[in-house]
Amino acid sequence: MFRSPPLKPSTRRAALRALGACALVAGMPMAARAQAAARPGGYTELRWDDLVPKGWDPTKGMRDRNVAGLPDSDPRAGDLMRELREAWDNAPTLPALDGAAIKLPGYLVPLDESAAGITEFLLVPYFGACIHTPPPPANQIVLVRPARPLTGYRTMDTVWASGRLRTSRSQSQMGTSGYTLEAALIDRYVAAPR
Amino acid sequence: MTAAVQVRALRHTWPGASTPTLIIDALDVDAGQTLFLRGPSGSGKSTLLALLAGVLVADGGDGEVRLLDASWRAMSAAQRDRHRADHLGYIFQQFNLLPYLSVIDNVRLPCRFSARRRQRAGSGAAERLLERMGMDASLWHRAAGVLSVGQQQRVAAARALIGAPEVVLADEPTSALDEDLRDAFMTLLLERCAEAGSALVFVSHDARLAPRFSRRVDLTTLNAAATVAA
Amino acid sequence: MTPLLGLAARSAWNRRFVLALVVASIALSTFLLLGIERIRQDVRASFSQAVSGTDLIVGARTGSVQLLLYSVFRIGQATQNMRYASAQALAGHRAVAWMVPLSLGDSHRGFPVLGTSAAYFAHFRHGNRQSLSLSQGRAFGAPGLFEVVLGAEVARRLGYALGQPVVISHGDGALTANDHADKPFTVVGVLAPTGTPVDRTVHISLESMEAIHLDWVAGVPLPGLKVPADQVTQHDLAPRQITAVMLGLKSRAAVFSVQRDIQSWRDEPLMAILPGVALDELWDVVGLGERALLAISALVAVVSAAGLVAVVLAGLDARRRELAILRAVGASPRHMLALLALEGGWVTLAGVGTGAVLHTVALALLAPWAQQHFGLVLNAGAALATQWGLIGALLAGGFLASLVPGWRAYRLSLADGLSPRT
Repeated sequence: MFRSPPLKPSTRRAALRALGACALVAGMPMAARAQAAARPGGYTELRWDDLVPKGWDPTKGMRDRNVAGLPDSDPRAGDLMRELREAWDNAPTLPALDGAAIKLPGYLVPLDESAAGITEFLLVPYFGACIHTPPPPANQIVLVRPARPLTGYRTMDTVWASGRLRTSRSQSQMGTSGYTLEAALIDRYVAAPR
Repeated sequence: MTAAVQVRALRHTWPGASTPTLIIDALDVDAGQTLFLRGPSGSGKSTLLALLAGVLVADGGDGEVRLLDASWRAMSAAQRDRHRADHLGYIFQQFNLLPYLSVIDNVRLPCRFSARRRQRAGSGAAERLLERMGMDASLWHRAAGVLSVGQQQRVAAARALIGAPEVVLADEPTSALDEDLRDAFMTLLLERCAEAGSALVFVSHDARLAPRFSRRVDLTTLNAAATVAA
Repeated sequence: MTPLLGLAARSAWNRRFVLALVVASIALSTFLLLGIERIRQDVRASFSQAVSGTDLIVGARTGSVQLLLYSVFRIGQATQNMRYASAQALAGHRAVAWMVPLSLGDSHRGFPVLGTSAAYFAHFRHGNRQSLSLSQGRAFGAPGLFEVVLGAEVARRLGYALGQPVVISHGDGALTANDHADKPFTVVGVLAPTGTPVDRTVHISLESMEAIHLDWVAGVPLPGLKVPADQVTQHDLAPRQITAVMLGLKSRAAVFSVQRDIQSWRDEPLMAILPGVALDELWDVVGLGERALLAISALVAVVSAAGLVAVVLAGLDARRRELAILRAVGASPRHMLALLALEGGWVTLAGVGTGAVLHTVALALLAPWAQQHFGLVLNAGAALATQWGLIGALLAGGFLASLVPGWRAYRLSLADGLSPRT
């Protein structure tokens, strides 16, 4: 069983803050929400928090423990982070969304590239899901397979992904595998002027 | 029958000149006629030839120059170029040929720019003309730059006559030739013009050539501006 | 226009010695532009094809591009190793489906040697999720002592077949003293060509890698500690250190979580990269250089066009009689413009054609060398769409530039008429 070391205080507090407001994780403006929900092609535009089942709160059971007041050297802090991590990794999907035709904006992280272009990528809600910020929960990551290999996109480009959402359940220890978007149509995201 | 070339009330001024360079009341050249136009250097003969060829358009008064009953002034620049290509042959004093074309391609040059000349010439016309000009077949495909001056002038004459244009203008074509060559050239030129039925306007300062022509005109007498200036 | 095409060609050919330098200049710029574009695209294609289906690459904490380059492309050096114990722990991570260890550092006659497990042949993918296949023989077993599997290019270039004895050299193999001559290997398999750095790699098992270094300490063979080949099995051949690890996950969406876990690994400083993301970082760096090269080549093209214009303009005065002759046979001043522009067009075409041919020849000569040293596949054959675009732009540019002397010829013939001033 592997253990992760205690995180730096700043990172830990950032994680807790994000967790406390996990339904509002929104690293980019959602100005387009004000426009009509139905878009040409019949895709419903979603926000990232729409992917989270209502009432999912991994901090339930942690509220009574004095989380923010724990010093870093306290072993309970490490345990807490581990619990958090596992809760996020096992974050449930919304079964109601299986088969829905949706359109979602996000940041592109390439996974597979052939000579023709990117054939598989991950869509994430915020920038730089790497070192400085904790990775998003499993229900805030979408595995996208574009209908045609993508050219001209690089890591962390902002895109609109439209397609049919699938919620898959696998038997892995990781819990649900999360969301997949098959045969997706990809467009560049251009922020509305503000 | 209208004349091949008609000049009426022509007035032309050189750009920058205060007085007109050319004033010609009337000048007619009939079809098939040979005209010897005598004029010393500076008498405006080059200008007159340019006006006859439609390269220049008279800029003074409402006089006009007509080639085959078509007034140059009434035409657009593109129409003038086409009319010239279809009906006119021109021989310079020297350097008549494009050095990067062969002799026979030089002769066929007008046919590139005039479908009418090409049709009238038919196939083999260039070869026939060159033969009639006394050019040996071995020279036909050589680059034009290797010919002597005499040979070049004969080729120039062949080019001017291909497709039997109605009018041929010649600007001192013999001035660069010595006497023997000159006589031979004159004979060939006049014979070929007669064969093709082309009118010939021949400008030269050499009065000895005059007797060969059916009409002789002195440019200084013809040009009213010259007498005024003198 | 058509009567002029032939005239323009003959006229240009007539002055070919003067124009030869201009043609050479245009050929050079064409060569540069086409070559850079081709190499750019082929390098990107080669690199992106080199690894597929690997979710994370893990190594000691160096730089992400560096880790990618040496673990996948065998370019550069690892500055630090990682512990095999960490690799084994990773294999047991709840999110990891498979783990392939990589150990680099030795070579054979200039080709890099890779120590890995049998899992490599099962899980490594390239191109479009294609797995490795053998054209001859088999993969090494476990422990697979002194067995070698060759990449296609190695076998072809060295002329090796099954059963061939192979001596591994320590490091780059420059000094013969660094050969592991006492422990020769045997070729048991040859891989089919992949068009990736796999082709130029010599594969051995981790146990074999450990065995040949048993009597070496800190990179130097110690005579007193000599262990003959037949006694290696008496020693513990479990590797202690490896260079890097390739991971496949059960769920691809878990990649960020696993990466975070590895970055904060308690037992040693590790880093994990997503190959696609690291490639994009590489292109960011390389892209600057590419753009600079393209800009310089474009400038060469502009200078060539300027040279063409200058040469033709300079010769125009001497051609005024020629223009008068053409006027006399019925050409218009617009024909003169077209004639000069077409001449420039022919010269540009000659230059571009020469440059394109030179580029193809150079590429054909360069391709085997690139394949051998970097595992790059350069296609000298079909031209890319972007290359045709460049050719079109060069031809158009040369033709347009020639409108300048064309315009001058237009004005001259208008002014001169039948009496040129020369």
